[in-house]
Amino acid sequence: MFEVPSLSDLNIAATLPVMSLVLGTCILLLADLFVPQERKQLTAWLAVAGLGVSLALSLLSLGDVTRFGDGDEAFAGMFVADTFTDAVNVIALVTALLGVMVAYNYLERTGTQRGEYYVLLLFTTAGVMFMGAAGDLVVVFVALELLSIPLYILSGFRRPQEASEESAMKYFLLGAFASGFLVYGIALIYGATGTTGLHDIWIAVDDIVAGDATSQYLLLIGAGLMLVGLGFKVAAVPFHMWTPDVYQGAPTSVVAYMSVAAKVGGFAALLRVLAAGMPHFVLDAGAPAAWQDTVWLVAVLTMLLGNLVAIVQNDLKRLLAYSSIAHAGYVLLAVAAAGSAGLADESAQAVVIYMMAYAFTNVGAFSVVIAVEKDDASNTGVTSMRGLARSQPWLAAAMALFMLSLTGIPLTAGFVGKWFVFKAAISADLFFAVVVGAVTSLISAYYYLRIVWYMYFEEGDGEAVIPWPLAAAISIAAVGTLFLGVMPYLLTDMAREITLAFGG
Amino acid sequence: MVPLWMYLVVAAALFSTGLYGVLARRNAIAILMSIELMLNAVNINLVAFWRYQKPGDVSGQVFAAFVFVVAAAEAAVGLALIIAIYRRRQSVIAEDMNLMKW
Amino acid sequence: MDITIQHGVFVIFTLVTLGSALLVVTVRNLFHAALYLMLCLFGVAGLFALLTAPLLAGFQVVIYIGAIAILIIFAIMLTPQVTRVIKTTNAQWPVAIVVAVLFFVMILSVVSPLMDELGVDDWNADFTQEDADRVPDSTLTDFGESLVSRDRFVLPFEIASIMLMAALIGAVLVVSPDAILRRDESQPPPSDTSVSADTGASGD
Repeated sequence: MFEVPSLSDLNIAATLPVMSLVLGTCILLLADLFVPQERKQLTAWLAVAGLGVSLALSLLSLGDVTRFGDGDEAFAGMFVADTFTDAVNVIALVTALLGVMVAYNYLERTGTQRGEYYVLLLFTTAGVMFMGAAGDLVVVFVALELLSIPLYILSGFRRPQEASEESAMKYFLLGAFASGFLVYGIALIYGATGTTGLHDIWIAVDDIVAGDATSQYLLLIGAGLMLVGLGFKVAAVPFHMWTPDVYQGAPTSVVAYMSVAAKVGGFAALLRVLAAGMPHFVLDAGAPAAWQDTVWLVAVLTMLLGNLVAIVQNDLKRLLAYSSIAHAGYVLLAVAAAGSAGLADESAQAVVIYMMAYAFTNVGAFSVVIAVEKDDASNTGVTSMRGLARSQPWLAAAMALFMLSLTGIPLTAGFVGKWFVFKAAISADLFFAVVVGAVTSLISAYYYLRIVWYMYFEEGDGEAVIPWPLAAAISIAAVGTLFLGVMPYLLTDMAREITLAFGG
Repeated sequence: MVPLWMYLVVAAALFSTGLYGVLARRNAIAILMSIELMLNAVNINLVAFWRYQKPGDVSGQVFAAFVFVVAAAEAAVGLALIIAIYRRRQSVIAEDMNLMKW
Repeated sequence: MDITIQHGVFVIFTLVTLGSALLVVTVRNLFHAALYLMLCLFGVAGLFALLTAPLLAGFQVVIYIGAIAILIIFAIMLTPQVTRVIKTTNAQWPVAIVVAVLFFVMILSVVSPLMDELGVDDWNADFTQEDADRVPDSTLTDFGESLVSRDRFVLPFEIASIMLMAALIGAVLVVSPDAILRRDESQPPPSDTSVSADTGASGD
């Protein structure tokens, strides 16, 4: 007979950070009805409050002050509440907080101020958090849609601008196409293992490794198709083609958020599936996991294409789009490292450190673009940076810091991220990929430092609009970038605790 | 009973048809319909695997139901976007939807 | 392999599904494509029934054909110019064919070792001819309970409901009146008060 499950049966306390965010979003949705149009900053503040509560809970849990619920699993294994989940939550929530801060005045001056913006942004954040906590492929799939669908809408938020609407259309069609691949992959994995639970898959992989070739190939192709589906989301080559157009067309405040959030969700789910679910899926005894070669090959292609094409870009948003493709390659390198025996945790730590650094740096860089962008979405060319150092010295200094961090210069957060990614990859003997990574980092210095050159050594009017929430967001991002770079042990001490609940 | 592989081949053929449609069609609604074909192929896979692998528990069927839900949500959002764009620029979705070049 | 009546029915449904799917991606008239899509979805529903999943066959008819396909037909009729397209494919169609065929061959090569009597002999040894003939006794009750019972799909069920709400808000937002109001860029943008009056999202 069916029993109604109680909340403690479900261990719902373990899901507190994300559940509080979902609840807060629903309240925000209702509260926004009563906020008059000319006072929408109230909605933005309420969104900040909702995110803040959730962030505080995640930090408490991550800092081991309190653990919510008992054990690592909630909803009978559907939700994994380990330290990796906490770390993903923190990154997603920090990104969302910065995303709300940069959005408010931007929406105001482009005439698209609507309360739904913040509601959809918070829903997306919940999607990212669910993806990071997924203990079942069903959750991966549904959470990916919760992440994507609001982002499709947000990309088209800047009506009636054609570029924005078309970017939403493009993002939607390619996103739906990609989820088709993802779910086909899930179906094949279900066929090979007879389950969709990641823990059960982890158990089943041992039988498959010892078993016949058919289910091995089914599992391999299933994992490959999932890589395709998630590769679209994180903008890995050859599934990157939507990125420059969508980033250029979508409102810059949305791009600042989604360039980080979609990646965090995608990589978290990729780690859950590959590193936690099937790290021991080997075709020859003693060899690394069967999916490792594919992942590092994709990583190499992504790093090469992203960095090389970025050189010829003359629009800041397009340049940062190719740069974000390139950075997806570096993170994929860390994911590939998880395929070697015993490296799953180290690779998860590298991904978390990299994404944390990338969150501050990239949101910061896009915030500077927001500051120089005109109300009609023009003036985002590289040349708009000319003379910025004279007219806005602090803004230029922050931008220079972000550019150095994206390059990976020591004493910035980007360096720490790259260091740990390369370290994990070297432990996994992926020397060729590491060499490619190092060389492409050098190449990337050209186009990042070109922007610094424009700011400091060329004449221009360097106009910028910096209302205080945007200034605050840029400051937080700059301080975060600098702090993590100068005192990396703050991050690495925290990251050392990060483990995936099973696998390894 | 029809063997499992026949269902898998039918599903693969249906998915490939949808794949061709997404890549080759120029019209957004046509692309959306091709995506629906792909999702249906996935559902045939899921139900067939459920029938031959785990007929005792309903998880395969439930997953297929989640695919329905997602397909419905995507269709609603996608068609809303198409109609919104069409209202402004009568031709935009009729031509030049070229996903590979994009 | 014994040829039973099931095989005949399977062949019919397969032909309906794949034939109409091919028409969906090739015919010029979008309205016809949508009708073929419905036919294709019926074929898939038949395959579900053949796989002893009558519940999903019902879902397929009610949700896919009854809701999604009808929604697509609505969209086609609301965007009339779309049906007058002269060229249906883009310049990349040969590449698309190659990609689709390669994908099919890839799956086929994985599936081909299964081509024996039941298709599961060397793979799922527990599955016997008796299992094949016995109709699984999963019911609507099982299905419903698994969506809400504690060790099954509560969490995805909840996430799916949030996702549907987000999609609902998004779809309404995309087609909401102020888009119409401002669709002509030559007109000056409306003042704040007129925006708030027609969004329905304000309390004043």
